[in-house]
Amino acid sequence: MTSDIVRVLLLLAQLGFVALLYIVLMRFAGSLLRDLRSAEEAQITSRSGIGRLSVLESPADEPPDGSTIALGPINSIGRNVNNTIFVEDDFVSANHAMLTFRGRSWFVEDQGSTNGTYVNGHRIERAVALSFGDELTVGRVRMRLDR
Amino acid sequence: MRIAWRGAELKLLLPILLLVPFGFAVTNVALSGALETGDLTMAVGYVALIAVAHVVLVASGHRGDQLVLPAVGVMGGIGMIMLNRLPQDLAGTRAFGLELGMASTQLLWFAVGIVAMLAIAVGLRDDGILRHYKYSWAAVGIALLAATMLFGYEVNGARLWIDLGPVSIQPGELLKIVLVIFIAGYLAETRTLLTSASMRIGFLSVPPLPYFLPMLVLFAAVMLIVVRLNDLGTALLFFGIFLTMLFVATGRRSYVLIGLILFVAGFYVAYQMFGHVHARVDVWLDPFADPLGAGFQPVRAIYALGRGGLFGEGLGQGLVTLGGSLTIPFVHTDFIFTAIAEELGLLGAFALLGFAAVLVFRGLRIAALARDDFGALLAVGLTASLGLQTLIIIGGNTKLIPLTGITLPFVSYGGSSVVASFIMIGLLLAISHRSRTAEEASES
Repeated sequence: MTSDIVRVLLLLAQLGFVALLYIVLMRFAGSLLRDLRSAEEAQITSRSGIGRLSVLESPADEPPDGSTIALGPINSIGRNVNNTIFVEDDFVSANHAMLTFRGRSWFVEDQGSTNGTYVNGHRIERAVALSFGDELTVGRVRMRLDR
Repeated sequence: MRIAWRGAELKLLLPILLLVPFGFAVTNVALSGALETGDLTMAVGYVALIAVAHVVLVASGHRGDQLVLPAVGVMGGIGMIMLNRLPQDLAGTRAFGLELGMASTQLLWFAVGIVAMLAIAVGLRDDGILRHYKYSWAAVGIALLAATMLFGYEVNGARLWIDLGPVSIQPGELLKIVLVIFIAGYLAETRTLLTSASMRIGFLSVPPLPYFLPMLVLFAAVMLIVVRLNDLGTALLFFGIFLTMLFVATGRRSYVLIGLILFVAGFYVAYQMFGHVHARVDVWLDPFADPLGAGFQPVRAIYALGRGGLFGEGLGQGLVTLGGSLTIPFVHTDFIFTAIAEELGLLGAFALLGFAAVLVFRGLRIAALARDDFGALLAVGLTASLGLQTLIIIGGNTKLIPLTGITLPFVSYGGSSVVASFIMIGLLLAISHRSRTAEEASES
């Protein structure tokens, strides 16, 4: 008699356990969906997002230290105010370097500057492909390419 | 450090507080036949561990992904329920004057794993140590392999274990992580070269060899040694991780195609050359040819899956024993999925797969949001490792692919596996935290 009760209770508990698993799984699904929606909205409202430069070090504070620069497909860097990225630093040439997005990756090319363009501490001679996370140095200004 | 409330994580963790003790209680009632919840200290201990992990993440102001820990918590919880339900003398430790059963040992390893996860998730503020010393990491990996070859001992024909006095470890589990770190570092550096330049052989474009060779050589060496150690599951896993990372880094389908061709060729050679590969495939094709010998475990596993049906036999009510011992000897490691499918049925097994899928989904999302190429590739590699491991062992259990002995992450019994899996979660959380904080810094 008691074993019958135990058996029925066990069956219910068993079904309850599996049901509980699915309830938990549904909550996960809900969380996932909420996240996806908010990510979608964030994408609509924010940048187009091929990349940006984070300024790590800028002695003259132009561009400001710690700021982020949104990048278009073609960016010129230099001390001339007509450049897309204007850098106020005595060691930077008027037209210093070009930062371009071609195909699927970023490239940087020195424009015959006096003090050179450096990628991860190495002076570049020709156009060089950049990966996200690489450090770009013009004059005394250090920047990092981020996505 | 500022406190960061992790509301979504808390909300998902709360049901686990109920789920795990409930599972333990149901098991105890079924096993004893009396309406008593029995000893729940193990369940409480497990839940407490997960809760501590949450509290530490909150207190340290961690901004990493909030779904990863709950998904791991549920998978580990299901695993603990099964391990507690199995005979405790299947495995265990006898060290430092303590004698622990299987479930208590596993709980202890969970504690070690969670500490390792938190240390990495909170402590790893800069990935330079991983990224810049990639060749050192490769050397560590080779050293691990060499140690296994020299000092390792065999279990079931595969030499995977090193005896360290009180505990035995499986260096292959750590090697997996080290290898992923190396490949991520290497590919992050050479990615643009691998995509922009290429050579052609016929209609296939192959990677430019000078940039590709170092990694190929290392990878081939690892594969050879792993195959020599008779560890087929790990070899398959490494290959899958490598191809996934290469594809994600370059976006070239042809590389994957070449990889698959190489895989089929390599597998055929192994099939012809090594007796144990031949035997595995034969058992896979027809386990019933020798149901009491080579096909014993697979046949029992298929019967167990069949007994489970849609709803399962019930926690604590499945698992047929023959003469007092379980019919599937490796039910606590390789065949834990079979045990879960038998007692919780197809529905329970699907739920477990669902949680694994959540983990993989979030891992890939962490990769997509990562700030730099290295972080993204690392996250992809770690996620591929966890996901493929799940697929390979469940595929083996259900006779979808030949059975290879690897563990089901967070579910199977095994200290090395649990700790290694938690280290991977720690790395994923660290990557996720860094991309979140960078995001907020750029917005403000």
